[in-house]
Parts: sequence; C-alpha cells; structure tokens
Amino acid sequence: MHHVVLERWSRGASPLHRRDPRAKLFALAVFLVTLATARRNLVILAPLLFLLLAAGLLRARIPLGSALVRAGVVFTFTVPFAIISYLTGDPARASSMLLKSYLSALAVLLLVSTTPVPALLRGFEAVGAPRFLLMVAQFLYRYLFVISEEAQHMRKAALARGATARATLARHAKFQAAAGAVGALFARSYGRAEDIHRAMLARGFSGRFPAATPLRFARADAFFAALAAVAPVLARLAAERVA
Amino acid sequence: MHIPDGFLSTPVWAAMDAAALPAVAVAVRRAQRSFEDSRIPLLGVMGAFVFAAQMINFPVGVGTSSHLVGGALLAFTLGPAPACVVMAAILAIQSLVFQDGGMLALGANVFNMAIAGVFAGYLPYHWFGNGPWRRPAIFAGGALSVLVSAALALTELLLSHTPIPRAALGLSGVVFLVSAALEGAITLAVAQSLETIQPNFIRKPAARRYASVTLGAAAVLLAAVGVVFASTAPDGIEKITRVQAADPTTWLGKAEAGLAGVAIIYAVCLAIGRVVTRHRSA
Repeated sequence: MHHVVLERWSRGASPLHRRDPRAKLFALAVFLVTLATARRNLVILAPLLFLLLAAGLLRARIPLGSALVRAGVVFTFTVPFAIISYLTGDPARASSMLLKSYLSALAVLLLVSTTPVPALLRGFEAVGAPRFLLMVAQFLYRYLFVISEEAQHMRKAALARGATARATLARHAKFQAAAGAVGALFARSYGRAEDIHRAMLARGFSGRFPAATPLRFARADAFFAALAAVAPVLARLAAERVA
Repeated sequence: MHIPDGFLSTPVWAAMDAAALPAVAVAVRRAQRSFEDSRIPLLGVMGAFVFAAQMINFPVGVGTSSHLVGGALLAFTLGPAPACVVMAAILAIQSLVFQDGGMLALGANVFNMAIAGVFAGYLPYHWFGNGPWRRPAIFAGGALSVLVSAALALTELLLSHTPIPRAALGLSGVVFLVSAALEGAITLAVAQSLETIQPNFIRKPAARRYASVTLGAAAVLLAAVGVVFASTAPDGIEKITRVQAADPTTWLGKAEAGLAGVAIIYAVCLAIGRVVTRHRSA
C-alpha cells in the first residue's frame, strides 16, 4: 500500500531527513510560490527546478523512478484540462498546467518522503497552525490505515457472501447493502474511537502529545533553509534572463 | 475534485488561502467548545472513517459506481464545526501524503469542501431536520454540499482563466447535478442505516445556531452567484487583479507581491490564533 512506502522513505537517514521540519516547510513554501507565480520561460525554468528536486531526491536516497511515478497522480486531474487547453488553441497554458502541477506535487513529495508525518505536523504547529486541527490530522493519519483495512475486510466478507452475484440482487438492494456497510463501518469506527479515548485517558492523556525530542533549529538547518530558498529563485532569475 | 497547484492564478489561490485560514480557525474554536481536547481521537478516527468509506462502492447504474463524500454526513453526526475541522484535516492529509490537491491550493480546497460544503450541507437539516421533512432535508444536505463545493471549484478555475468551452461547462453542470443527487441518496441511505444501528448517532439540529446558518446561506449564495458571474464575465476579476499586478515584465514585483501576500496572510492568522488562545485561557 501507499503509506508503507512513504513511511519507509520518510524514516531514512540522509542529511535531508535530519533537517528541521520548519526549515523544510519554509523551503517548500518558497519553491511553490516561485513556481506558481512564474509566467514566462517556463520551458527553461521547469527543467532547472526539476533538476533541483531530483538532486534532493537522490541526496535523500529516495528511489528516483518510483518517486517520479508517484508524483504523476496529479495528471489524472491535469491532463483532461491540458487537453482542453491545447484544443482551444492555448498550448502554452496546457504545458504550464502540466509542468506546474507536476513539479509542485514532486516538491511536496520530496518533503513528505524526507519527513515523517508526526514531525511534519509538529513543524506546522511550530509555524502557527492550530494545534487542535493538527492533532485531529495526526489521529486521522494514525488510524487511516486501520479503518481502511477494516473496510477492506468488510468488502471481502461481502464478496464471500455473494455480493458480486449479479442476478441475485436488484440494484436497489445492492445500494441498501452498501449503505448498511458504511453505517456499520461508522458504528465500528465510533466505537473504536471511544475505546482509544478511554485507553489514552487510562494512560494519562491530557489533551496534548508530549514531544519525545524537542525541535531544534541548528545552524545546518538555517544554512539549508537559505540554500533551498535561494536556489529556485536563482533558477527563475536565470530562466528569465535568457529571454 | 481536488484542485492541484498550477491551476489557480496567484490572486485566486492567495485570496482563497486568506479566506480559508481564518474560517478554519473559527471552526476549530467552535469545535473545541463542543469537544474538549481529550475527545480529539473521535474526530481523527471519524476522518479516517470518511477516507475508508470511500472504498465502499455504491452501484448506480450501467457499470458505474459512486462513493460517499461525507461532508454532510459528518455535519449531521458530529455537528457542523467539528465536521469542518475533520474535513480540513482530511484535505490536508490528502494533499500532503497522497499528492491529491495542491499545497497552495489547499486554502481553495478547504474553503470549497470543508467550509462551504459542510455548512451548506448542514443548512437544510438545520431548518427541516426535525419535522416531517427530515428525510428530504438529509437528502438535500448531501446534494447541496457537493453542489456548492463543485460550483465554487468551477468558479475558481474560471476566475483563473482555465479555458472551459461552453459545451464542457454544460456537461460539467450535468455531472455536478448527477453526483449531487447521488451524494444525497447515499447520505440518506447511510443516515437511515445509522439510525437503525443507534438512533442518537444523528444529532438533532440545535435550536440556536445562527453562525452556522449564516455561513451555510452565505456559502450557497456565493456558489450560485460565483459560478454565474465567473462563467459570464470573468474579465471583471481580471481587471481588478490587473490593477495590482501591474506590468507582466516586472515579474520580481509580482513575486514579491505574492510573497508579501503570503506573509500578510500568515501574520493575520497568527494574530487570530493568539487572540483565540488568549480568549480561551482567560
């Protein structure tokens, strides 16, 4: 499954993995804004930024090929719009959409594949995002795969009971069966949440997670942040100068 | 439908980020009032439930299937503000972990689905959720939440000059209506199955919820006006943005404007956060 790969990647041990999440978030923000506001010479800028991200992925020892494929999920949204743009006589916009959406996704992927999600959310908290929301996100991520597995078990069980036998059930009955499955999943999730809550209270949960290791913004992080912020801006300056 | 980065023009995504962040801050505050901190696990697990429920397919006709989107259902079960927080967390995780939706466009996606979608979905239930119109209200809530989210997303794309020919516009309108009706039907069916499992899963609409009602009505209005306005006269916005964007050759100015905008949004949110936390501790 998706998360297993990403979890493994994000727990690597490269200099990029060791950087403070705040520094990486700052670098990502500069990269995304630099890319999003670029209008001219994207054909030159895009390969430069791509090289930058590829260098980052290689430095972090992330398998380049599978990372590039993974970021390609944006194309399911982008390609139809790009085709329409191309057909309506705006190939520049079509290529801009494809390049910008892909590079943005790849940049986010570089961040999450070098930063475990809990560390990432702590980075967000450190830059001022509401703690309540981040804790909800953290629980969501923690139980996402548990509940998904439960849903898959339910689907398998339904198949075993003949849910695919086409002739046996009217469409309406199948619809009702699916609604019943979602309802059951809801009830199980709700019950599980209450169990989790009680178990956490029993272990002294006070409403916040104590940090195992405090975030530390070292000199290397400052250096990294400066370098990673300057690089895309320089790339863009160079691309615009060529024209 | 999660908008990736690279689609929305800078004024649009910046404005949506600026609109979404304070709105989420307010929703978080309201959710915190009704759910003490230690019940956070419930919201997180229900978010995971919405994710997982999308794996269960509803047969809808010739070989196709649909799935639950979930914003309205969460609003009926958890209340609108907690539902808004859960949906925002879902969108953030989708954008970060699954590259589904852009980071800069996260504000737009959160606004469309977590804020406008949830509160618009809650609106019919708030008005009619207690009487003989309860079932139609649940259906309408599901349908409205999808319709409003989709209309807002379309508006944002049109304002960003994404070329969408008339024919495609009409087609997407039909698709939106169909998927809205499906979400309504699925929400109603799931709500009924929940009531047979345990009647108090679906909350009774609270008597006084002026803020939720206002937000919901505003979201519906915005979606309706926005999509009409954007599909007929997107150049109006173009003119407004051009005033500040000045000359395209001075890109540095533009990038600075973008960065300054981000900085301002950030400062405003931080200030709001400070005020909120001070208020809570006082």
